[in-house]
Amino acid sequence: MATAPAGTEATAVWDAETLARVRHLHLRARTLTDALLMGEHRSRRVGQAIEFADYQEYLPGMDLRGLDWRVWGRSDRLVVKRFETETELPCTVVLDLSGDLATGTEGSHSVRPDLEGSKAGYALVLAATLLYFLHRHGEPVGLEIVAGDGVPHTSLPPRGGRNHLQLLFLLLASVRPGGVAKLREALVRVGSRVRRRSWVALVSDGMEEPGAWLPALSAFARRGADLRFFHVYDPREWRLGFQQPALFYSPETGEELAVDPAGAQQAFEEVAREYVDEVRGGVVRFGGRYLPVPTDRELAEIVQAAILDDVRVGRRGR
Amino acid sequence: MSFGVAAPLALLLSAALALPVLAHMARQVPRDRQAFGAMLLLQRVVKRLKRRRRVKDLPLLLVRLLALVALVLAATGLDLTYPGGVPEYGGSGRVVLVVDRSMSMGAVRGGLGIADGEIASSTLLQEATARATETLRQLPDAVQVGLVFYDDQAVKLTSELTTDRGRLEAALQGLTPTYGGSDLRGALLEARRLLGGEPGEVLLFSDEAGPEQVRAAQSEIAALVEQGSSVLPQRVFVDPPRNVALLAATYGDGLEGGQVRFRAMNYGPDPMELPCEVTLPDGANIRVFADLPPMGEGEEGITIPNEAQGGVGEVRCEDPDLPLDDARYFHLPRVGASRVLVVDGDPGDTPIRSEVYFLERALAPWGGLQSGLTLDVTPPAGLLELDAEEHRVVFLANVADPRPYGPRLVDFVRRGGAVVISGGDNVTADRYNAALGAILPARLRLPRAIASVDEEGVPLTLPDAQEDLFAPFRRSGRQGFTRVKAHTVLTFDELVEDDDTRVLMRWDNGLPALVERRVGAGRVLVWTTSVDMGWSDLPLQAVFMPMMQRMVGVLGGDAGSRALRIDGVVGRRVEVPLPDLNVDPRVLGPQGEEQPSRIEGSTLVFTPERPGAFEVQLASGPSLAWVAVNTLPEESDVRAGMSVEAVERDLDPELLTQRVDLARPLWALGLLAMVLQALLQLRRPEGHTGGEP
Repeated sequence: MATAPAGTEATAVWDAETLARVRHLHLRARTLTDALLMGEHRSRRVGQAIEFADYQEYLPGMDLRGLDWRVWGRSDRLVVKRFETETELPCTVVLDLSGDLATGTEGSHSVRPDLEGSKAGYALVLAATLLYFLHRHGEPVGLEIVAGDGVPHTSLPPRGGRNHLQLLFLLLASVRPGGVAKLREALVRVGSRVRRRSWVALVSDGMEEPGAWLPALSAFARRGADLRFFHVYDPREWRLGFQQPALFYSPETGEELAVDPAGAQQAFEEVAREYVDEVRGGVVRFGGRYLPVPTDRELAEIVQAAILDDVRVGRRGR
Repeated sequence: MSFGVAAPLALLLSAALALPVLAHMARQVPRDRQAFGAMLLLQRVVKRLKRRRRVKDLPLLLVRLLALVALVLAATGLDLTYPGGVPEYGGSGRVVLVVDRSMSMGAVRGGLGIADGEIASSTLLQEATARATETLRQLPDAVQVGLVFYDDQAVKLTSELTTDRGRLEAALQGLTPTYGGSDLRGALLEARRLLGGEPGEVLLFSDEAGPEQVRAAQSEIAALVEQGSSVLPQRVFVDPPRNVALLAATYGDGLEGGQVRFRAMNYGPDPMELPCEVTLPDGANIRVFADLPPMGEGEEGITIPNEAQGGVGEVRCEDPDLPLDDARYFHLPRVGASRVLVVDGDPGDTPIRSEVYFLERALAPWGGLQSGLTLDVTPPAGLLELDAEEHRVVFLANVADPRPYGPRLVDFVRRGGAVVISGGDNVTADRYNAALGAILPARLRLPRAIASVDEEGVPLTLPDAQEDLFAPFRRSGRQGFTRVKAHTVLTFDELVEDDDTRVLMRWDNGLPALVERRVGAGRVLVWTTSVDMGWSDLPLQAVFMPMMQRMVGVLGGDAGSRALRIDGVVGRRVEVPLPDLNVDPRVLGPQGEEQPSRIEGSTLVFTPERPGAFEVQLASGPSLAWVAVNTLPEESDVRAGMSVEAVERDLDPELLTQRVDLARPLWALGLLAMVLQALLQLRRPEGHTGGEP
């Protein structure tokens, strides 16, 4: 048994199954991350990383350790060396686990048997991998869960340390998809509290009217966040790849529609294309980067293609 | 047009109309349920497909509905009834042609106007006669025909129905529009008499214009329908109706010369600006433009010169649509140049003690150039030369003894002259009563001091603005009368007001200030105080000049002309009372031609057939009367009023209608629509459901 860490609003009980999931998730994330980091040996967080900036005339009271004796010896002037300290890159993963993510047919990663094949299962592993990778990269990591079911809290701000990472994994292992995302409200809320100039990964299916929630991304842009939108979708759903007429229903809203897929596939593909264009355009407009995440694709490819290079150079670019 | 149903119960079948709609809307809901995480996209797909579906399936639904509607209506035995379904005439064997030749039938289609005094060729009456002639020629030979034409009066050409078509046709060709009204009721009565109580057909060729023509004939139409006849209207009309009519023209005088105001009505849909010309009795012409809104009235006025001859004037507005009603005639009294004889009974030693001094300045300032009055001043002896033809008003200003001239003054008044008597120290009641008792409002009494000389005096009360004498003061200036104050006035013995005798103004203490008595065509006014400063301060007040001028203007205008002024209407009897049975009157028409007239008792009677100025003259004397004859304003209203057809439909809904059985064509239409919908169904594509099964 384990309890939720201090700072959360409620107490949760972790059972053996959950812990097993955590281990499984951790293992999965570590495997993926090790593969991604293969060949990179230098840690960015060894010691106090400082770089020389400029000189300043010595004034009484300044730390004598900063005096540049060589300059004093050459010119008889007392000057103090000044340094620039590198900042940490707080990283936040915003994970949408609304009810609709429980659907899907192609996401098969065996991390959570209860979510086998679903978009939610895929999204969880993606989130865990991102968190582990960033943690290994020496960045403080945090997690914001939108909607979802089975967790007492949904917001863990970025922090460093293994314990914190463990807590995030516990959260990911226990949460289940459910409820309504209400993306607009959720993004406004999260965007208003992320740290300035942080790195944000939004993992979502985006299945709400884009015109309603895309403007909420401006909250991240205002805080200078580097936003990545991981658009999770099931390719079969987006092809309307069903054979028989059925009463399609949304687990998230309960809405039902009787549809004959045979006659609607062409129109569906048109609509899906228009929808993706709309979402991509909105994300880019607010300074983000759009990353399609079909659940039939290898996760390592996704992470490698989407963030690895970006994160490697990200800190230097700041 | 109306629809009838032979089997009303079959209307229950109309419930079946809902079936195709329900079938169209019916959807089979699949049993399988499938969780789906992209409902947002699916919703958009369904919306898109529904839009396509509506366009694609609408014709099919319409055809289905058409098929069922046609079949249901066919089953109900629907029939169609519509008016005007009388294709041929003469079926009854007895036909009366009734042709309207009233003034409104002179309307010109297209407004061609008049040329060289002749009405343009395409009048409604000509169209009506052409159609009547054509109908006459097409009637079967055995049909007996009668002809009635009407304006103010209905005239039947023959005393009974005839087969002599040539005579009727010739009569039709000779018809011209008159200035008269429309006695449709009389015409239908004549038609009924021609039919002799037997069923027949009355073909009415008329514009049916005006608000009253058909309404007044309802009883006669009912009588014809009751005897089994029908009135078959053959309406000829201009659409939209156009006409400008002069509804009224009147002369109203004012302080600074009178005005002739005329009112015109535009019955057309377009605004009009018409050139109009006012012709006065002396031949003077004054042009004015009248602006008329569509379907509305307008009023214009011209100011009469300071001097104008009395008689009948004419207002004429050029209107191309109905030239017959373009003129309106009005009476104009003699205006200006009223020769007033002031009899100076008290020359006075100073101007303020001289009535004439004040009267001259009030009535004829600048020598009468501005007021148009000619003032003659004479001592009392000058009354011996009083000439009614020369003077129209005599002003007795503080004359001491009128007895020598009493008979002449009484005769002057009885012949239409006017006498104004003012008070003063010289006025002696007994002498006036003796000389003028026959024309005074009441016997005069001794002057009465109503205030001492050193006091302010008793003021006048506010005069009644409705009195013609005070009409110019209606808008302003009436309060000025209350500033006139007097301390001595003439009084009357038992003054009784009646139709002829009236007190026009009173002093504040109730005593009469201005009293009028009408004697025949003449008038006598008694101003109970002086017109100088002797008994009152009247000459000092602002109302003095306008009051005196108005007094003389009214008396000189109305009372000065002895000729009667009578208004007449074309086609209606005009009665002129004769003063003496021993006279030999004659009536002269607008062109000076003598009109037929007759004497009934003490009245001369004649019926004008055209508008204009008619003059009744004595054989060797002045004009006895002027008659301004105008057309009926109602006849100028060319808008359609109540229709004959509507009246007949109210009396008998089956009359003038034709019925068509629609069941058979509806059966055919229904079957055709069913075949068509079957073909459309076969051509329906496989994936027609779009997204929905």
